[in-house]
Amino acid sequence: MRILNSLKWAPIMILITIFQIFSFSQIVLKKPENLTGILIIAGLFIFIEWFYLFLSTFLFPKSSNALECIAFFLTGISIVISASFSFGLLAKQFAAFIIGIIIYPILLKIMENPDKAEKLRIPFAIGTIITLIITLIFAKNINGAYNWIVIGPLSIQPAELIKVTFIFVGAASLDKIQQKKSLTLYILFSVTTIVLLFLMRDLGTALIFFFTFVVLAFLRSGDIRTIIFICLSAALGAALVVLVRSDYVMRRFAVYRHIWEYPHSGGYQQTRSLIYSASGGLLGLGIGNGKLRNIFAAAEDLIFALVCEEFGILIGFTILFCFVVIAIHSVRNANGARSSFYTIACCSAGFLLLFQVSLNVFGVTDLLPMTGVTLPFVSRGGSSTISCWGLLAFIKAADNRTWLRDISEIRKKMSNA
Amino acid sequence: MHRISNRSKWLSVLIILFMVGVIFLGVTLTQNSKRWATLKLNNHLYVNGEFVSAGTIYDRQGKVLAETKNGKRMYSSDPTTRKSTLHAVGDSKGFIATGAHTAFKPQLIGYDYINGIYKLKKDGGEHDLTLTIDAALSNEALKALGKNKGTVGIINYKTGEILCMVSTPTFDPENPPYDLNLDETGKYEGIYINRFLSGVFTPGSTFKTVTTASVLENIQDIDDRSFDCRGRYTLHKGSYVNCNAVHGNVDFQRAFSRSCNTAYAGLAVELGNEQLTKTAEELYFNKRIYVNGIPVAKSKFDLSNAYPIDRAWAGIGQYTTLANPCHLCLIMSAIANNGTAVAPTIIKDSRAPKLQNLKMLDANVASTLDMMLRTNVIEFYKDRRLPDLLMAGKTGTAEVANDKPHSLFVGYSKRQDLPLAIVVVLQNEGVSGYASAVPVANQVLQFALSNKIS
Repeated sequence: MRILNSLKWAPIMILITIFQIFSFSQIVLKKPENLTGILIIAGLFIFIEWFYLFLSTFLFPKSSNALECIAFFLTGISIVISASFSFGLLAKQFAAFIIGIIIYPILLKIMENPDKAEKLRIPFAIGTIITLIITLIFAKNINGAYNWIVIGPLSIQPAELIKVTFIFVGAASLDKIQQKKSLTLYILFSVTTIVLLFLMRDLGTALIFFFTFVVLAFLRSGDIRTIIFICLSAALGAALVVLVRSDYVMRRFAVYRHIWEYPHSGGYQQTRSLIYSASGGLLGLGIGNGKLRNIFAAAEDLIFALVCEEFGILIGFTILFCFVVIAIHSVRNANGARSSFYTIACCSAGFLLLFQVSLNVFGVTDLLPMTGVTLPFVSRGGSSTISCWGLLAFIKAADNRTWLRDISEIRKKMSNA
Repeated sequence: MHRISNRSKWLSVLIILFMVGVIFLGVTLTQNSKRWATLKLNNHLYVNGEFVSAGTIYDRQGKVLAETKNGKRMYSSDPTTRKSTLHAVGDSKGFIATGAHTAFKPQLIGYDYINGIYKLKKDGGEHDLTLTIDAALSNEALKALGKNKGTVGIINYKTGEILCMVSTPTFDPENPPYDLNLDETGKYEGIYINRFLSGVFTPGSTFKTVTTASVLENIQDIDDRSFDCRGRYTLHKGSYVNCNAVHGNVDFQRAFSRSCNTAYAGLAVELGNEQLTKTAEELYFNKRIYVNGIPVAKSKFDLSNAYPIDRAWAGIGQYTTLANPCHLCLIMSAIANNGTAVAPTIIKDSRAPKLQNLKMLDANVASTLDMMLRTNVIEFYKDRRLPDLLMAGKTGTAEVANDKPHSLFVGYSKRQDLPLAIVVVLQNEGVSGYASAVPVANQVLQFALSNKIS
């Protein structure tokens, strides 16, 4: 009975595995180059999913694996889409997944003891700022933003990885309610980070960090007036930036809600996203049969529309539903968390993901201005995938069940309390 | 600690906001999917602006005129059919505005919320269209037109179905000539225009049918009149209209048969601007006619500010008068059908909405005109030149500025088993309606008769 209880994740994981096998077989039927390579990685990916879940169930029988199942489902789509492009992209995406799934338990281990974890906030904060400054100096201009660092064959987007440290530092600093100095330092750190991102012209990521900062501030103060004040001053600051950098920002906002008037310039990606999403219908045209994939950033910024076209709108909306579930989980976990460090980190991470999904999905479908951010877990891209697994660790950490090894241990802890 | 936990509940508002956005996205997609998916920007359906996916188009006998196979738009397997039905079917780039590809796009492109455009892309989907066009008859018409620019159109006057609308010059949509868009000699002039639906030509003597209708309505003693033709109608000194021959003393019927300009110029002057214009407009000049929603080019008859001599020219189909071939064919249909032309259609679908018939003439006037047009053939064009067809009709040789005249023939068969009205226009052909257009009409209608196409 206890074993069955710990294997609650199995039925859903079987469905996900069937879905992934179906998806990979569609690619195999297209007879791509390096078929053996693709098959090996597909097999490895599915094996790792099951191996991880069994291992986790064995080590932490009380832990819920719902979050991992969702993440595997979403990562699976990105792996399949990478495979449908080429073996090279698949290999990179798979490598990022491996790094993500290794970093995930390491972060959990670091956070096992919140008091020890909070000591890491200073080195993390300094590291964050230094990384951003290095990026700003050495970054290559890719598509108008200076947010890539290229080292040999590797290209890294530090802003993605910094999402994890930003939340870590935020949660750790704000947990120390009594220390006024800590709060001031934290605000200084946040503002510096966001300003640096603005300087990199990475508008989308800067917005995400700002949103996360507001969530952190709300959790810390609980004061709506403070939040309004933060938002107003940010709006003023943004207006100033728009005035200075009008060409860059205004071009993006000019086509907002007018994409059909600029189908060959500013509205190119959005109009194609809508046309091809609609072309897919509920069930999609089949993996590799889409036309959106020929358009720039199809597997990154436009991934939602690519999924709608090739997998179907049904799967597209399932992805959106997955992020709702992640957000609900983060609220629920935050409520019972055993330390406010967990509460803050978990909420910030969950809503950072939800906000990023909104910017991405509503951006390409013209419900919001397009900012060019990735869709968490699903978009192709190493840095983004790794950072998503890092963020997931915060949500997982807040779940008390994560840390319980046995019933006897619960009893022990309860009697201790 | 507790406070922070409680605050986190407030973040659920953001989840609800997100859900609202998702629902809004879903609604927007549902409302606009079909429109978005069928836009020309969609590379599934259009490649380089060329249409590749749509339902199959059949002719009235069920022959394939255009279909989508493996993501390619294919036309008839017969190269002659590809040319003769090009203007009815339309090209892949949408240059032929009145072609079925463009005019009936919503009927041809099916969208399905479950599968999107999957079926449409694969084999064109289930949105097929059967035209009233007969491919074999169109091929014969193309053959009969030869090297001429012009059009042959045939309408069944009992049903209104357009059986043939061939327009030349034309091209093979699967092998378009390399110089199609480069040529400057004018050999492809108006190649994307369906002359039957969208062309307008000086009608010449075929317009005398309209003048005759006006005479029958307004001049009571016309049967007692006679006209003395000396080869020219003179209004006053220096203001005259030449006749095609010296006809001598002719009555009204003979004036019509011989196409006597002297008699008709005089009658037009006598009728006056208002009466002639009124009859022309009753016969749908200056009015818009639609074929299943496709607008047909308006025929033009304008006597405002016209002097009597202008009216004399207008009465014989010159001056500023312009007629559309489909419209001329409908006038013939109306005469053959007691004064009412059955609404023209090119879609063969019994479920299609009932279209408005065109009431043109009083039944008595129609019956007199019918008799006179039949007499034209018996007395002058001769049944042996149109054997077994029981034809009625009127020829025309229309003078045009700076070029050779157009040769025209409009008419219809009075056979119960061949209720067809025909129009033949040979643009700048230069000989005459009598010598050139009548044989074309005969060739095409003989084919219809022997193959029982009606």
